Amino acid sequence: MAANFVISPTVQIVLDELEIQRKKIVSANYKGWGLILGGILLAFLVTNFGGLIAGLLVGAAAVIPGGVMLYKISDDTAQYKSRFKQEVVGAALSSVDQSLTLEPKNGISESEFVSSQLFTTGIDRYHTEDLICGKVDKTTFYFAEVHAEYKTETRTKNGTQTTWHDILKGIVFTADFNKNFNGVTVVRPKDFGSSIGAWFSKNIFSVGDKNIVELENDGFNKNFVTYSTDQVEARYILTPAMMERINDLNQRSAYTVSLSFINSSMYIAFPLDKNYFEAPVFKTLLKPDLLDDDMAVLTFMYDIVHELDLNTRIWSKQ
Amino acid sequence: MIIVAVIAVLVLIIGIGIYNSLISKKNQVANAFSAIDVMLKKRFDLLPNLVETVKQYMQYEGDTLTKITELRGKALGTNVSESDKLALDQQIGSAVKGLMVSVENYPDLKANTNFLNLQSTWTESEEQIAAARRNYNSTVTTYNNAVMMFPGNMFAGMLGYQPMQVLETAAEERKNVSAKELFNS
Repeated sequence: MAANFVISPTVQIVLDELEIQRKKIVSANYKGWGLILGGILLAFLVTNFGGLIAGLLVGAAAVIPGGVMLYKISDDTAQYKSRFKQEVVGAALSSVDQSLTLEPKNGISESEFVSSQLFTTGIDRYHTEDLICGKVDKTTFYFAEVHAEYKTETRTKNGTQTTWHDILKGIVFTADFNKNFNGVTVVRPKDFGSSIGAWFSKNIFSVGDKNIVELENDGFNKNFVTYSTDQVEARYILTPAMMERINDLNQRSAYTVSLSFINSSMYIAFPLDKNYFEAPVFKTLLKPDLLDDDMAVLTFMYDIVHELDLNTRIWSKQ
Repeated sequence: MIIVAVIAVLVLIIGIGIYNSLISKKNQVANAFSAIDVMLKKRFDLLPNLVETVKQYMQYEGDTLTKITELRGKALGTNVSESDKLALDQQIGSAVKGLMVSVENYPDLKANTNFLNLQSTWTESEEQIAAARRNYNSTVTTYNNAVMMFPGNMFAGMLGYQPMQVLETAAEERKNVSAKELFNS
């Protein structure tokens, strides 16, 4: 499924230059951290034998240059990462489709993420980056990395302890849907709570969640619970063929996906373990499989438009 | 004494719950059918416009157009049962499908913007009706389960509620509408 990205001579020149820069960054990092750790160790030793002031002076003599070295190299690291994204990842995007663009500092805004209704948990911390936009035939789409978290606070003997939990760490994909609709339909992974809700909805209707949609596809129902503000519209969107396509898409994803259909668009959240489209700092750039993981994700997202048949525009929405 | 009263109240609450649930499910079925009816009405309303547009270009499809107009008249007539209306809709659907296939022979019609809009609206209505039928079948299945399973069957017997028939789904409705098959076959 992953398209192989053949590194062109132009990109190879960029990679060669970046590799030199990377080595410089790694060397400066080792030296900087070496000086800081060595300085701390030396400070302890000298304090034991020659007193605190002597220890502090000797320690500072090593720690300060180490800190300055790390500070100086941080700009180079940012520039190295930015150039990798623009010139190497950018070339990989163009190899898939010329219409694809990357905006490393942009993403899917928190307000859009919330309004997509993919998740209902309140967000306490939100980060998004690497917005990729494109168009396949008539369908415009974009996706970005998103890390949304909520926090819990527990009281301990030493005060309050804050723990952060992921709502989503992965990619949110959105595309213009090929049918018009007015309501909201959300497809969420089935968990214990939603299974209970679905059971009540099915068996004791008067106390169950009236928004739950009972669909005919057993495989789909095994993985997902569907909620909608309009039962007929939910079925208009989730045709038998569309459910099969979502099942296939879900099977190829490591974790169960969530989907929502709202404001004439569809949103899909893919939980992932890795941060994609990042330049490696402590690993070489000159290995043939450098971009394999990034390309796999990229082509996966790009193929969604075909997989879900979003270019079939035989309805009134063109 | 208190325990007996508590049990009696609980039984009463459960009884009311089941009774209300059955009525709610029956109403849902009626509601689901009316959703099909609304979609059918929308679809039938498209026909005069479609026939008028097509008539100007198609010289040899007069019989089909007359048949479509007649079927529409029947479907919109008074005293048409629900099942008859659905049967008439299927006949209209096949006639229009045949018409769409003939469009291939009329390049001017294929290029007409009004016709293209009508064509996509028609396709949309096909899927909307399919969705409404699936919704109806889902509510009927839920209702039938409630009516036939214990303890709902006890109340259903008292209320005179009988299991209902689900609508047969044509094989074509089970798959997504394909533009290629519809217009280019």
